[in-house]
Amino acid sequence: MLDTVEKEDTVISEEEAAQYDRQIRLWGLDAQKRLRGSHVLLVGLRGLGAEVAKNLILAGVKGLTLLDHEEVTEESCRAQFLIPVGSEGQNRAQASLERAQYLNPMVDVKADTEPVESKPDEFFLQFDAVCLTGCPRDLMIRIDQICSQKNVKVFCGDVFGYHGYMFSNLGPEHHYVEEKLKAVKPSEGTSDGPDTKKPKVDPSETTMVKKTASFCSLKEALEIDWTSEKAKASLKRTPADYFLLQVAPLPSPFAPSVLLKFRTDKGRDPQPSSFADDSTILRQIRDDVLEAQGLASDLIPDEFVSYCFSEMAPVCAVVGGVLGQEIVKALSQRDAPHRNFFFFDGLKGSGVVDYFATK
Amino acid sequence: MVQLVGSLRKELADSVSSCRVLVVGAGGIGCELLKNLVLTGFKNIEVIDLDTIDVSNLNRQFLFQKKHVGKSKAQVAKESVLQFCPEANITAYHDSIMNPDYNVEFFKNFMLVMNALDNRAARNHVNRMCLAANIPLIESGTAGYLGQVTVIKKGLTECYECQPKPTQKTFPGCTIRNTPSEPIHCIVWAKYLYNQLFGEEDADQEVSPDTADPEASWDPAQTAARAGASNQDGDIKRVSTKDWARSTGYDPVKIFNKLFKDDIMYLLTMDKLWKKRKAPQPLDWAVVQEMAYIQEEVSGQGLRDQQVLGVKGYAQLFCNSVETLRSQLAEKGEGAQLVWDKDDPPAMDFVTAAANLRMHVFSMNMKSRFDVKSMAGNIIPAIATTNAVIAGLIVLEALKILSGDLEQCRTKLLVPCALDPPNTNCYVCASKPEVTVKLNVHKTLVQSLQDKILKEKFGMVAPDVQIEDGKGTILISSEEGETDANNSKCLSEFGIRNGSRLQVDDFLQDYTLLVNLLHCEDLEKDVEFEVVGDAPDKAPPAPNVPEEDKNIANGNQDSALPSTSSKVPIEKDDVLIVDSDEEPSSSTMEAAVEMGGVKRKLEDVETGGAGSKRKRLFELPINDDDIIALD
Repeated sequence: MLDTVEKEDTVISEEEAAQYDRQIRLWGLDAQKRLRGSHVLLVGLRGLGAEVAKNLILAGVKGLTLLDHEEVTEESCRAQFLIPVGSEGQNRAQASLERAQYLNPMVDVKADTEPVESKPDEFFLQFDAVCLTGCPRDLMIRIDQICSQKNVKVFCGDVFGYHGYMFSNLGPEHHYVEEKLKAVKPSEGTSDGPDTKKPKVDPSETTMVKKTASFCSLKEALEIDWTSEKAKASLKRTPADYFLLQVAPLPSPFAPSVLLKFRTDKGRDPQPSSFADDSTILRQIRDDVLEAQGLASDLIPDEFVSYCFSEMAPVCAVVGGVLGQEIVKALSQRDAPHRNFFFFDGLKGSGVVDYFATK
Repeated sequence: MVQLVGSLRKELADSVSSCRVLVVGAGGIGCELLKNLVLTGFKNIEVIDLDTIDVSNLNRQFLFQKKHVGKSKAQVAKESVLQFCPEANITAYHDSIMNPDYNVEFFKNFMLVMNALDNRAARNHVNRMCLAANIPLIESGTAGYLGQVTVIKKGLTECYECQPKPTQKTFPGCTIRNTPSEPIHCIVWAKYLYNQLFGEEDADQEVSPDTADPEASWDPAQTAARAGASNQDGDIKRVSTKDWARSTGYDPVKIFNKLFKDDIMYLLTMDKLWKKRKAPQPLDWAVVQEMAYIQEEVSGQGLRDQQVLGVKGYAQLFCNSVETLRSQLAEKGEGAQLVWDKDDPPAMDFVTAAANLRMHVFSMNMKSRFDVKSMAGNIIPAIATTNAVIAGLIVLEALKILSGDLEQCRTKLLVPCALDPPNTNCYVCASKPEVTVKLNVHKTLVQSLQDKILKEKFGMVAPDVQIEDGKGTILISSEEGETDANNSKCLSEFGIRNGSRLQVDDFLQDYTLLVNLLHCEDLEKDVEFEVVGDAPDKAPPAPNVPEEDKNIANGNQDSALPSTSSKVPIEKDDVLIVDSDEEPSSSTMEAAVEMGGVKRKLEDVETGGAGSKRKRLFELPINDDDIIALD
């Protein structure tokens, strides 16, 4: 879909030029034009979703569909800056719409209140990129499979308390460009003598280099056999957050996976209001998950549970910022994308990009 | 039993909601920061900013909309935040933090101060106030894709001014006045010219040829003579540029000819300057008028401002802007002065035109208004996401401070994900490219070697091949016809056998490749040759050289290309974080081997088959003196 957007067709108005000036100076006009031709689906309007929505709307995509079937609760009012106070009982996407639109009237922002599970396959194919937040594991895998077939870029992300991650699948052959400084050329024109030195070439002249990157599916990224010798050996090197996702072979990384299992089993994320019970369940899931992989349960310490509740606003900001920028890069086909996971540990303040895949 | 309020433990949540904090700046970082603070539960926030909202802010300062352009940033930010968090207690000041009203007593009201500034002067000031009041300061900055956060606490950490910061780059006077070699020199000159003609004249902003340029004279006596001569000359030194311009009635054509013809011709008399430099070429207004306008780009392709006009176009722009500025000056009355502003169209036009004309005179490629504006206006590109991430990190540091964990605070750097360093075995870009090829020396013809292996496989265009046989026998010459006789012979006829080495040069590509040949009689059917260790674009492992043995990255056959790994700070902890942004260096790899005797592969271990490339986005403990403070 993206490749067929003719650059010549999209004219940037003076109004857009003025508003997007500071970002055009960073990523260039071509990138801005591609953004301007892109349609994105964003699933989930909790804290992380709101951040991604803001970032994409400010970047100037053509259209953004906010999809969420849940209702605004008293707690979510405080968690998200797009939903005005007093919106309890309203649909989350609907309640976020007005303030989202105000961020940038030039973007076509829509709200869709249906559950994402009920959407037919074709629904996803009308977009250039799909971003899933707050979705159960199997649903993410299914949507990823649908989208990969038609070169729709897929992004997933979640925040659990202090921890967060994002995943991207840009397809087996994602083309992009990188800007490099031009090599010094001798200048043309008459010289004034044998010793004449050519004027120094402008150091700000650059050239675009074309590149390709390949990505695996979400299914391949999540189904790593941690019982293999090789995987065990790499155990020490994977960020704990990977396990949070139930994929990575390192302490932290396990936590996302434990949390995704909680989500699948309970149909919701851990809640502060049922802190005691949820903590017990989380620890149990942790034990089960680790045992199934033949790993010691102290790989994820007990106290991890207390840092997984709710969504920490600053963590949403960080993960949403990185995720938003990855979507911008993919849509504009400019600059090297992260492959294929980003993990953020808000306690340590460390963010790591890592690639996980099975063959 | 741990109690939670949202994501936070109760004690922390209580501190957060009761403390008072100050946010200095309500721009890119400020908007994101205010949002993060209230969503995290901070209730008592004061924010200060002297600026008003501009349309170019709207791509990232999300608390503002088009209808707010012109209004106070601090004020509008407060109003927007209250929309989604009405119980927040926010005080907004449309003022400069450097106003003496904000004294040490004022600062002492706060538990913590967070900077969201864009200039050094204010940062220095707040730094000192926080030291004086002895409260923690979280300092931060962003520019494009880069950002950083750091915590400053008197006695515990470096203050903002502990390390000297790089100063704004300045250029020597004679470069600006006599021998510009880059567009920026011409742009600085044009800004000086603006001030000399329309603004406040500054002795450090001379635009006329500098006769005292030490490079210009053959001996010191001559410099003195020249300097003296020009004083009597009258034209160059005695009359100020503004007075002279006034005497012509700000006639654009006269000004044009003085700057781009007469002054240039004067520079040409300083012949020593042009011994090793390309001499400037004067422009005459009348001659320029005879030129055709350069056909401008089809509109719609790029921004209007991104077009590069020709000489005639810029001459016209120069003329028009001088006339406009002349009127502006006249309107202001006697003794008036204009102040240059990148957002004032005639001022920007003037600099664009003057700088480009000068660039043309000095044989440089001209620049569009868009580019000139960036340089002249010191515009720093900015996006929402970098600010969002940095503001998130600021709040996380703030929480550590409130938890009493100041020692846990860390400087954070947001760096773009590093590109993979070059593959040390790359057979194109490695410093001494080498490759091993299996073939049958009795069957492979020289022609095949040239066409199928060197040209097709290794991408050379005009290879020259020498056999490393002690005699330097030339097997293939890129010169037409020279070695045609060899083409139909097989390699073994030249004494080539198992283990022979060929030196292959392609002078056009400036590329030398050492080819090791292994004789092989049982290649697969229809396969004429095989590059050892081959996969598309993959190079074989380097041959065994003593240093290489220590290089564990090369050790494993199935491993992905030795990639990431360079300085591996192997720690006792379980988690190992690898930097992938430096070039692999053998010394650090050796160190890695010794540590604890653990022989780890330095490239990330495959997790079920694929290599993983770790890149660190946020640094953990840094004691890095090169932290860039971004204004």
